[in-house]
Amino acid sequence: MSRRVEEATAWVYRGIWGALSKWFRVPTEPPSLPVDGTEQLETFRPAEGFLRYLKFKFWFFLLIADLAILAAWLALLVAFPFAALWLAPLAFAIAVLPDVIAYIAIHLRYDTTWYVFSKQSLRIRRGIWVIHETTITFENIQNVSLNSGPLERFFGIANVVVDTAGGGQPGKDAHGKQQMNYHQGLIEGIDNAGEIRNQILGRVRRSRTAGLGDEDASSSGWSAEHLIALGEIRNTLADLQKS
Amino acid sequence: MRSFDAGSLERPDSSLLKYYAIISLLTGPGFLIMFWPLLFKYETLKYRFEDEGMSMSWGVLFRHEIHLTYRRIQDIHLSRNLIQRWLGLATVSIQTASGSSGPEMNIEGILRAGELRDYLYAKMRGARGLGSHATAGGGNPHDEALSLLREIRDLLRQKAPPSRQS
Repeated sequence: MSRRVEEATAWVYRGIWGALSKWFRVPTEPPSLPVDGTEQLETFRPAEGFLRYLKFKFWFFLLIADLAILAAWLALLVAFPFAALWLAPLAFAIAVLPDVIAYIAIHLRYDTTWYVFSKQSLRIRRGIWVIHETTITFENIQNVSLNSGPLERFFGIANVVVDTAGGGQPGKDAHGKQQMNYHQGLIEGIDNAGEIRNQILGRVRRSRTAGLGDEDASSSGWSAEHLIALGEIRNTLADLQKS
Repeated sequence: MRSFDAGSLERPDSSLLKYYAIISLLTGPGFLIMFWPLLFKYETLKYRFEDEGMSMSWGVLFRHEIHLTYRRIQDIHLSRNLIQRWLGLATVSIQTASGSSGPEMNIEGILRAGELRDYLYAKMRGARGLGSHATAGGGNPHDEALSLLREIRDLLRQKAPPSRQS
């Protein structure tokens, strides 16, 4: 029974998603990055645990909100029974409608989040109303941090945050909404966060510049050819000493 | 599909004006207050994409000009809201390492924003030289240090018995 319900919801959701992505011009394919020749892009999205984590939070707040609405309605029923019966459909709509929308929004949020890695850079796509894509090269990353709360650890997920140079506190925009920090890339809800962090760190360490617009490391210093020539000189000198 | 040439981009597309009109209309009574500055901005907005850097300028009474070099780009953002997606527009935001948290430059009204983004990406540090590995090997024939090193090696080899050669 529950399996059939699940299948039906999945079907309905796919229908809604299909229609939405068409009308709202949501790209269904993952973002891509310009690469060298045949290099393979690493494309992934948040882990299953992230969806469960979001849903857990959703059910938790739903329970609190709906209990509050129910309590208010019961109080009204005791005080003015007639008015309360008239208001019952309204109270029901207030209790249920936002939940349905929020539930769909969670799935949409999960389905529209993509992370793409190439050898040089990473690209993050996020958002439903405003689709936002961030591109950061590993050369420009200043630090990498990893954080997870107790609830996130229970679901086996963590967030990796990469920062680039420059800063300032992100302010509030005209509507009082918290603006995003443009000097940051947030890779949230992944279950192999340690691996991803090491991968990013390894690439950042390989870069020999400060990530502030200085020249590429390959244009100065010792190249591979120099090192070969130096090695040959060392070997020849060693031979000289032996003889 | 013709190839993308950023140098030929100078003016935003006319659908940017439509976009400005729509977002002004959405404010309702504030339409006129909102729309005039945006109309002026649209009318005077100019872009210049050169080999090393780019600039944009706008404004009638208060003029703004922003210049930056591709090399100092820290990160590139591309965002499209619902109305922009319907009109086929996007905003490309460019960040340098300066102290502001918002983007330094917002390029609006470009139809092929994805391609512009990838053009800028290919020019920014850390992604330069994509598609050409000529510089990676250090095979520069005019490399003075390398030729000096080879000269020393050859002189030493003349003195030493040629037993170990790598």
